[in-house]
Amino acid sequence: MKDKLKQVIIDGLNLEDLTPADIGDDDALFGEGLGLDSLDAVELVILVQKHFGVAIKDMKEGQAAFQSVNTLATYIAEHRQA
Amino acid sequence: MPQSPDPGASLPPSQPSRGWDSGSVGSRLQHGFFYLLIRIGGKPLAYVLLAVVVLWYVCYPSTRRKCSHYLRRRFPHRNGRLQRFLDSYRLVLSLGKLLIDRAALGIVGPATLQVTFPDGPQLLEVLAEEKGLVMVGSHVGCWQTALSAFDHVPAGVNLVIHRAENDIDLHYFEHSGEAPPFRIIDPAKEFLGGVLSMLEVLRRGEILGLMGDRVFGGDQHRLGVEFLGEPAVFPLSPYVLASSAGSPIVVLFSHRTGRNSYTLELAKVIHVPEGIGRDEEAMRPYVRQFAEALEGYVERHPWQFMNFFDMWDISSLDTTTPKENGGAA
Repeated sequence: MKDKLKQVIIDGLNLEDLTPADIGDDDALFGEGLGLDSLDAVELVILVQKHFGVAIKDMKEGQAAFQSVNTLATYIAEHRQA
Repeated sequence: MPQSPDPGASLPPSQPSRGWDSGSVGSRLQHGFFYLLIRIGGKPLAYVLLAVVVLWYVCYPSTRRKCSHYLRRRFPHRNGRLQRFLDSYRLVLSLGKLLIDRAALGIVGPATLQVTFPDGPQLLEVLAEEKGLVMVGSHVGCWQTALSAFDHVPAGVNLVIHRAENDIDLHYFEHSGEAPPFRIIDPAKEFLGGVLSMLEVLRRGEILGLMGDRVFGGDQHRLGVEFLGEPAVFPLSPYVLASSAGSPIVVLFSHRTGRNSYTLELAKVIHVPEGIGRDEEAMRPYVRQFAEALEGYVERHPWQFMNFFDMWDISSLDTTTPKENGGAA
């Protein structure tokens, strides 16, 4: 799941210089970590829905989910099961 | 004023471009005096004082410089010193009247203004698509007065508004202490500049209003397209949000038609295809459509363009993306 998520992020957000191995599970997605910005977040919402079938509708939950690959993968897993 | 979101990961949108800020002209006391005049003598009394105060402010070179960005593009042949002074006076006087009208709306009440919206049925048609609606405006006319024409719109209205610390102009609803008739999304106070909240309201089928003619310092999502004969900087965020949510964009402008009347016009409906992402070149035609609509507006209402920001300063356009820069926007 995490590797697939990393690949989706790389492909979907055109992070061409990165491989999944370059992205730590707990690296911050935004700001200092991976360096994504807010419009990447908009695209990420769409990518998660497209590839994992999970709609992030509650943006307060989304804020918690968008901290790292780990938190996002957990959010996807929980909402897929729901 | 509503603003385009600051897409910086955690940056507040309060760092405008060089030599410009969105703070108010005049002190809190001076503003309060105008509010008092409106209470005592209505708008006519405030207009009289305004004419004198504007003359004082236009004597400052800094005021005329702020006016010149627009005036020399809109009126390229009116470049004599006296003519430019008079044009600056007229432009700032027009701004002052709009601000007095806005204050009067809150102090005296909506009955003081007649707002017409002949394109209202077209807006309802677009809303009926139930895909949400990105309402892109501009610093023209007075959007706050125009919003009173939204009473009959069957959808929640959410405006992206950030108030600079030195912006002391009161929104019209603040004069009466009432809650705003719309939800405010402040990009400086929300995670990721509020874009997730913006996307959320669009997915709920609501209206998201933001400005299409100003980019703030922290926002690197910008594009240069021609406006009044020269490349000017426009924000990309409204178009990216519309593409992501599959929402249509309506371009809405208001203009003052008389001392007590305004008209709201739906200048353009823009359909940005879904899935463009943030491809700047793919977005360019849609940003240009907005710029064309704005050109049409300033052709018809040249003295109601209130963006004193130098949007033609394209030095801020970076050929590299934020990611290539190695960090957040």
